[in-house]
Amino acid sequence: MLRRTIDLLLPALFPSWRFFKQVGPSPRVEYRVLTGGCESEWRESHPIPENVGLKRMVRRMFWNPARNTQLYMVSLSERLVSGLVEHSAAELNRLIAEKIGEQDGELQFRLMFMAPEGDQIVGTVVYESEPVALQELRV
Amino acid sequence: MSFDAMMRLTEVMLALVILQTCVEHYWMGRDRVLFAARALACVWLLVGWQSGGAVGALWITHLILLHRFGGPYNGGADKMTMLITTCLGAAHLFPAWQELAMAYLAVQLVLSYFVSGYVKLVNPEWRSGQALVDVFRFSAYPVSERLRGWADQPRLLWLMSWSVIGFEVIFPLTLLHPFALLGGMVVAGTFHLANAFLFGLNRFFWIWLCAYPSLIWFQDRIFG
Repeated sequence: MLRRTIDLLLPALFPSWRFFKQVGPSPRVEYRVLTGGCESEWRESHPIPENVGLKRMVRRMFWNPARNTQLYMVSLSERLVSGLVEHSAAELNRLIAEKIGEQDGELQFRLMFMAPEGDQIVGTVVYESEPVALQELRV
Repeated sequence: MSFDAMMRLTEVMLALVILQTCVEHYWMGRDRVLFAARALACVWLLVGWQSGGAVGALWITHLILLHRFGGPYNGGADKMTMLITTCLGAAHLFPAWQELAMAYLAVQLVLSYFVSGYVKLVNPEWRSGQALVDVFRFSAYPVSERLRGWADQPRLLWLMSWSVIGFEVIFPLTLLHPFALLGGMVVAGTFHLANAFLFGLNRFFWIWLCAYPSLIWFQDRIFG
């Protein structure tokens, strides 16, 4: 507990400030629902909208919970692949379950990391979660 | 700006910024007790009575949040929130060292620009503009799919890359004169505003602004 607290505090008290040092592979979270042996298609969870107008940008300066959740999910995805699996997976499950609302079955998600390959942007699946009952996540 | 005025202004701005985040989290229905407690600490800080206690309450609840979210909820914005809270807390707790505590915040603010600019400057991908092309092309940061079209404007992004690198690297020089600092803060504020609009990083904009009073005081204290 103490070790973890120190690990969490130190980067805030002695920050490295290396924002965007490199632009590496970027995560997308996809999910599917398994119901009675049937699997739905993989869908992106919390996708960005097609367009955000200037008025909405201004509004988001003061009220931005959805976007901040998306950014948190990016952090969780990066933490998950760097080793903080249990907490990150639990949080991602919780956030996806919140988003898809009332639905029965089991939730499974995967992390797809996007990176350029020549002229194409290619996604590589780097993690696939164990299915969890949606009812359990809502509790 | 006097030290006391700077402290009070920083406290008021910090309280308002944290209050906004509390309202968002409370509205989303997550960890409501924790965010309600944090919101109360903000109101306490705004009132200004025994504000050291309010800062302490914000520091403790922030530490709990770091555990709760497995790290920062909002990356650098959370780190800056903790840094400001810690420096204010240290200034209240150790009056003999209060100037040093707030000077540390000002120095970290300058470093946040300089280090960020330096790591870009030494990176060939940033110098060529390719890094910013990649940010728009495939990273998770653009707020909309339409913005990804900016990746097809490499010359514009090259210019933007060098504008960001240039302003970040020379930012420490703005400490030499109050007007230069004012100009630097306007440019930096515009940069944060652009990041908020294009990447949805609104919390960075507000929390970085909270540290500006310490910089204005620091410039006057050292070079005034």
